[in-house]
Amino acid sequence: MVFRKSTKKKIIRSLCFLSFVIVIGILLYCLYLAILIDTRFSGRKWSIPSKVYSDSTLLFPGQQVNRSLLINKLRRLEYRNVARVPESSGEMRIQESSMELYLHDLEMPAKQHKGFPVKIAFRSQEIESIIRRDNGKTLPLLELGPEKIMLFFGPERQQRQLVSIDRVPQNLIHAVLAAEDSRFFEHHGFDFRSILRAIYINIRHGTIRQGGSTLTQQLAKNYFLTPERTLARKIRELLMALTMELRYKKQEIFEIYLNEIYLGQKGSVSINGVGEAAFFYFGKPVENLSLAEAATIACLIKSPGLYSPYVSETKCREQRNKVLRDMEKLGYITQQQRDGAVAEPVKTVGFTAYGKKAPYFVDYVSKQLPALYSPTVLSSQGLSIYTTVDMQVQEAAENALQRGLVRLEKTYPSLRRSNPGRKLQGAIIVMQPKTGYILAMVGGRDYSTTQFNRATQARRQPGSAIKPFVYLTGLDQFTPATILSNEQKTYEVNGKPWKPHGKSSYSGAGIRMRDALAQSDNLATVDLAMKVGLGRIVDTVKAFQFSTPLKPLPSLALGAYEVIPLELARAYCTFASYGVEPYPLSLKTLTDENGNILEQRHMTIQNIISPAKAFVMSDMLRSVVIEGTAKSAKNMGITFPMAGKTGTTNDYRDAWFVGYTPDLLALVWVGFDNGESISAEGAVAALPIWVDLVRSIPQYVSGDWFTIPPGVVKAKICSQSGQLAVEATCPEPIEEVFLEGNVTTEYCQIPEHKSHSGEELKMWWQKLWKR
Amino acid sequence: MNGKKRQTLVLYCICLIVFGCATVAPAPSKHPPRATSDTKIEKKELREGKPRPREVASLHLTEQGQMLLESGKVDEAIGVLGRAVNIYPSNGKNYYYLAEAWLKKGNAAQAREWNRLASMYLAGDSEWSPRVYEQHRRINVHSR
Repeated sequence: MVFRKSTKKKIIRSLCFLSFVIVIGILLYCLYLAILIDTRFSGRKWSIPSKVYSDSTLLFPGQQVNRSLLINKLRRLEYRNVARVPESSGEMRIQESSMELYLHDLEMPAKQHKGFPVKIAFRSQEIESIIRRDNGKTLPLLELGPEKIMLFFGPERQQRQLVSIDRVPQNLIHAVLAAEDSRFFEHHGFDFRSILRAIYINIRHGTIRQGGSTLTQQLAKNYFLTPERTLARKIRELLMALTMELRYKKQEIFEIYLNEIYLGQKGSVSINGVGEAAFFYFGKPVENLSLAEAATIACLIKSPGLYSPYVSETKCREQRNKVLRDMEKLGYITQQQRDGAVAEPVKTVGFTAYGKKAPYFVDYVSKQLPALYSPTVLSSQGLSIYTTVDMQVQEAAENALQRGLVRLEKTYPSLRRSNPGRKLQGAIIVMQPKTGYILAMVGGRDYSTTQFNRATQARRQPGSAIKPFVYLTGLDQFTPATILSNEQKTYEVNGKPWKPHGKSSYSGAGIRMRDALAQSDNLATVDLAMKVGLGRIVDTVKAFQFSTPLKPLPSLALGAYEVIPLELARAYCTFASYGVEPYPLSLKTLTDENGNILEQRHMTIQNIISPAKAFVMSDMLRSVVIEGTAKSAKNMGITFPMAGKTGTTNDYRDAWFVGYTPDLLALVWVGFDNGESISAEGAVAALPIWVDLVRSIPQYVSGDWFTIPPGVVKAKICSQSGQLAVEATCPEPIEEVFLEGNVTTEYCQIPEHKSHSGEELKMWWQKLWKR
Repeated sequence: MNGKKRQTLVLYCICLIVFGCATVAPAPSKHPPRATSDTKIEKKELREGKPRPREVASLHLTEQGQMLLESGKVDEAIGVLGRAVNIYPSNGKNYYYLAEAWLKKGNAAQAREWNRLASMYLAGDSEWSPRVYEQHRRINVHSR
């Protein structure tokens, strides 16, 4: 008996001890969970991908616009068409001669303002007026926000917009409670009644129809635990929910839940949180959701894959109406409200999967970022990266290149390749010459096939596109009127004879410097290069900050060395900006998730040549388009003044065209990556692409030409001799520009042009006083 | 006949022609015809005509840039003025304020570049030329 009593006591003691150990263990485990929860909740709760933005778009009365590109832009900015007058942010109505928008709130670094309604009236392709509809004021300038062009996702590929509980409308709070946990504000993380109800319903239907998890348990599972269904995981979930409820207020838990919850899929990216879901499904901020929309979002929590309106509108509507019924049962809404919401169709905003827009440009920007921030920071800290790209120009450039290459392959069947990796390629760079803003960059015809950026990484021979730098060097000694030799001569280079190949483009003996550049005459260019000295040409090219090595060889004058397209475009900007070379700017501002500026980059410029020289070069390069190798531009519809230069390399391996106006510079390159011949010159392969591009972006074409800077003078010369024209006797006197102090002093010496009266006397008089 | 004697003889003949016939022969210039710059003419045309839409929009940004500059927001001013230049590159005031902004940032080299452009674009402007010149002087002082 004693033995039995003592045994019993021992068992009880052991059980007590065991219970004590278990309780202590549970408490310790809860303590560990509390630390874990605190650590996660006190720090950064979620990884927010950094976003890359385009530049904002400025619209003003009198501006020419490409309406179809503008509408595409508005769609990318998530403006949605409505049939009535736009009444809320993000709505637009497009009519034949006008466009009405209710602007989104503008949120840019150091620039925020609320959206407002505007009416943009058009006269043909021109903006006639921009009027604020709320106060009737005419606006001189309207700024459309930047486009999101890329997100730096981490491995989890989640997208969310954080919202505070204060911003979440009551309807959505009630809908979520009705759909998931109506007793959330009554229980302590674990709801026995819900579990019993779930068991009853599941037994009655013979299948799992309902879960008994509270919102806190769901949060614990989604935020901290793995989704496997095991008893151990369920116990951890329960303990975690209890700990969470002990440590945090209901409001805090509910806010985290609303931001955490998975609500759908946009391609490979998951949509998390009600803030992101409101935009993804309805294109509006969460606070603007209607009752029906709030119920739709709440109904998705159970199974976004099944009930997504993008998957099945019918199933979504059934589930939404169920939530609305539950809301009514719980007294959150009246029957009338429910009936109204139930009658509404599920109207979504539509979406395009996250894709990298302007991919080569984004790569170019991204390469500058690792120096500033690590990939982990970029994929988690929610930084905003503002760039210079104009997505209308980018779209026009991508389309022009695509169309141009297809057209070439159609015209020259020999250019077609079945292997996508070996197809005919191209590159485009569009810049604003005065500031160096890169407006567009296309590094190849298909980013998915090859990510090699031909605009910034390729090293190709420029051919004749380098000639302007030879002629620029020549301007110190010669003038655009100087007659150059176009005979085939043998030159002595480093003690060895060298003879340029080919024939002159001009049949006569001798060609004026302007014409030689316009016609891209190789023999005359070599003549000029040998006269000015190869060393000096090397010095000129180096001054333009080309990074590729070059040697003082005669073939240098014909572009037989490699350049990087972006560097060539940058160098040409100097001619278009009165001798000032800009730094190519792509990354403007970097801000943290609160909009604080972390990094800012500005346009910087460097003087390379005098404004006078730059003007004379532009004037000469204008002749290329008027009467030279690019004169076909006129037939393609170029009616505004512009300058440019074609380039073709040996065996037609590369075709170039670099063209510019005072407002815009664009470079086009076409060729094969492996250097095969494209059988076409720059004027045939690259120029039409340039024209197609620039005609698509009338907002960047002012029709202006450069005003003459100090240091440039004009004089009438004889087109044949290049000397000063003798009035009345020189048959083709033309006006030529000269650098001041470098004007030709000789009157025309062609015997037939010499006057026998006045002009002869003039010359005799001059000779007399010269002695 | 040496050169000097020949010149004297010719001058004598000319005097005879000039005073004898009382006609003035057009004296050929010692230098080739000197062209006049179109710059002033074109600028005048721009100023007298109705301002172009680009110019108006650019000026609007110029004002914004100026205000930002005055309120000490130099970086933001540079951004706005850059947009103004892109819209209408011939608006010389933008270059002036950009020079001013770089001067405030303590970068005399950039200030000098923009001032040079300002001096070119505002050359014919009697109101702005002295300001540009004065700015140039300040830049020089700063770089010393």
